[in-house]
Amino acid sequence: MEGHSRRELIKIAAAAVAAPAIAAASVEVKPLFFTPPEFQMLDELTEIIIPTDGHSPGAKAAKVAVYMDKSLSEAFEDEPRQKFREGLKLVDSLSHELNHKPFLEASPKQRVAVVSRMAQNEKNPKKPVEHFFTQLKAATAFAYYTSSIGIHQEMGYLGNTLQTVYAGHDASEAPIHLPDSSK
Amino acid sequence: MQNPNPPGPQVDLKNVYDAIVVGSGAAGGMAAYVLSSQGMKVLLLEAGKQLDTTKELKSLEWPYDHPRRGEMPPGYHPLGMNEYNVRNPPYAKDSKYPHVESYVQGWNGPDYSKNIVVDEKDHPYTGTKYAWVRARCVGGKTNIWGRLALRLSDYDFKAKSRDGYGEDWPISYADIAPYYDKVDLYLGISGYKENLPYLPDGLFQRPVKLTASELKLRSELAKMGRVLTPYRAGVTTDGLKHNKYRSKCFGRGACDRRAGGCDIHAAFDSPTGLIRPAMDTGNLTLRPNSTVYEVTVDPVSGKARGVNFIDTDSGKTYEARAKVVILGASTLESARLMMLSKSSQHPNGIGNSSNHVGHNFCEHIMGPGINGLVKDLVGKPRTLDDGRPGSFYLARFRNLKDKQSNFIRGYGFEGSSGTTMIPGNAFETLGFGSSYKKAVRDYAGAYISMGAFGEVLPRYENAVSIDPDVKDKWGVPVLRFNYSFGDNEKKMAADMAVSAKEMFEAAGIEVVSVNREILTEGWSIHELGTARMGNDPKTSVLNQFQQSHDVKNLLVVDGSSHVSASCQNPTWTIMALAWRSCDHIADELRKGNV
Repeated sequence: MEGHSRRELIKIAAAAVAAPAIAAASVEVKPLFFTPPEFQMLDELTEIIIPTDGHSPGAKAAKVAVYMDKSLSEAFEDEPRQKFREGLKLVDSLSHELNHKPFLEASPKQRVAVVSRMAQNEKNPKKPVEHFFTQLKAATAFAYYTSSIGIHQEMGYLGNTLQTVYAGHDASEAPIHLPDSSK
Repeated sequence: MQNPNPPGPQVDLKNVYDAIVVGSGAAGGMAAYVLSSQGMKVLLLEAGKQLDTTKELKSLEWPYDHPRRGEMPPGYHPLGMNEYNVRNPPYAKDSKYPHVESYVQGWNGPDYSKNIVVDEKDHPYTGTKYAWVRARCVGGKTNIWGRLALRLSDYDFKAKSRDGYGEDWPISYADIAPYYDKVDLYLGISGYKENLPYLPDGLFQRPVKLTASELKLRSELAKMGRVLTPYRAGVTTDGLKHNKYRSKCFGRGACDRRAGGCDIHAAFDSPTGLIRPAMDTGNLTLRPNSTVYEVTVDPVSGKARGVNFIDTDSGKTYEARAKVVILGASTLESARLMMLSKSSQHPNGIGNSSNHVGHNFCEHIMGPGINGLVKDLVGKPRTLDDGRPGSFYLARFRNLKDKQSNFIRGYGFEGSSGTTMIPGNAFETLGFGSSYKKAVRDYAGAYISMGAFGEVLPRYENAVSIDPDVKDKWGVPVLRFNYSFGDNEKKMAADMAVSAKEMFEAAGIEVVSVNREILTEGWSIHELGTARMGNDPKTSVLNQFQQSHDVKNLLVVDGSSHVSASCQNPTWTIMALAWRSCDHIADELRKGNV
């Protein structure tokens, strides 16, 4: 149930369908759907949401924007693509409002200020740019946590390999003595 | 492990087989296995295709190695919860998508099961809202099942004697227990002995282990007289010496991506567990792409003569003949087939003199559940928590010794906790930046959740019938649903949410969210009861050996025979009953009584 609603959320966000990333670094990619400036903006936004830090590489290294671009380029419907494009325009407008310049010309600190404003009602988004944040973030999280960097370096997932014993505790560690447990 | 794909079919339709089995899932697979291993010549007809499981099942594929990270190609659309709730079937009608599939495709890695589940465009149905999941391929839904393998008890078989509602089964636990044992030993089951009269133990192989949070919940619930037990999985955890097509479980992880099947077949599926061994006897012929649309009748005796089927590739129709016809096409498809099989001897559909075929339709209600946080586990080092076939099952506790004031029968919970390959909390954690990453990381292993499965009472008016106006891709009239949850189910569902919260609170687990909503009818994929067994031919369709009261050489060995749903998952019971009935009919065949 939980997995199901999560999937649905992601789908609404990005019509999550995509092909493998082939480029070495996302900034060198020739985007399939977005214009180069749009793509660069998306790349920067995803990196602000999931940055490289002391623990692991972030969204740029995991080619999150490349995945999203491929997804949207082959999406069956045009609407999610256009909504994403409009969302990026809303981000630029917000940057003009806060910083008096387009998002890509703003300083790193100013860009974070824009994302902070977008995220301020994350639990209950009202303005279009706030809705866009929840979509962008769900799509970013999906692409990042399904990437090799996300699964291995960030999360340190231990499975998908042969195990000789099951990990965890024996049920006998918590013995049960019920009054009606003898037949 | 040998290649599990069987060779192509060589079917001689001039032959009169000992038995024709319709459907190759848990029920049909078991019938085919039991009869062919006793020397009977069996023709197994499967409506769907033969999948190459060596290519189809990719249990160890990393999401990033899949071109769409497990998603289906553009143009495939899985039905969502809202679509089932706001619209009426047929759900794919007028859809702009070329392919529409059931909600199971919304689970983790839907691309892995897109060839297993039917395309709703080819398989419409009408009537009331119902999330009907069908798998037309060799093995049917056993290719994607949840693997919870539970026994029923006399609390279920004799439920009417306890609370007065409905009908008792014509068998008791003692009748079926030896067959549960046979199924356990032949197919393998993992579990931990608890000695509960209302959830009998099986002959268990190595149990799965519990996470720290599950162990804590188990201890606390014991004080309330309730039992959380390691997931009883229809999975061989120690291996099966007699089956060369299946490996033991290696707890590799990502078992929650079960919609993709288990590529080493440690988890039971009918093709490797039953059908391949049956073929090795030399007595079984499997013919896929064979949609049976009618049970044919001998004009003199009125007995079943065989079946008519459509080759789904060529569109040509054929008749196959046998001494016995065994339906295992699934609860709803077997009922559909019986109702479609009208003749002068059986004007109401074959085996339907009682007018009970399609009626008393029941299942499990789902939806209410809980998600909680075990604070002690936040920030703890990583553990492997999904490297096991399942997590835990919380056995029924209502209406055993107690008597609830506003509902009868009971419910159990299936749950899980801890880390998974893709952290679910990433989609619920607020914020962004390094602090967001850290929160996702620190909390990923600290959540525990569970959802309830409750008994839906059989009611005559809950039924399916034939809709003569709508036909499927092959021109066969489809089912029309007239089915909805009743008052008992709704009150039980309200109690599920209350009790879930009470239990988490008692265990000191922080409640993150409580879900009170009921999912659309059908969600549990546990359809039961449309051709129930009973001793009275006026109020039941089958006898205790799943033999038609009207037509002695017709058996219905799937979930349609169940008299009531209980709250335990039905697959193990379907197989134990099918084994028992096929033992009986093989005896009858040998004696010349059929």
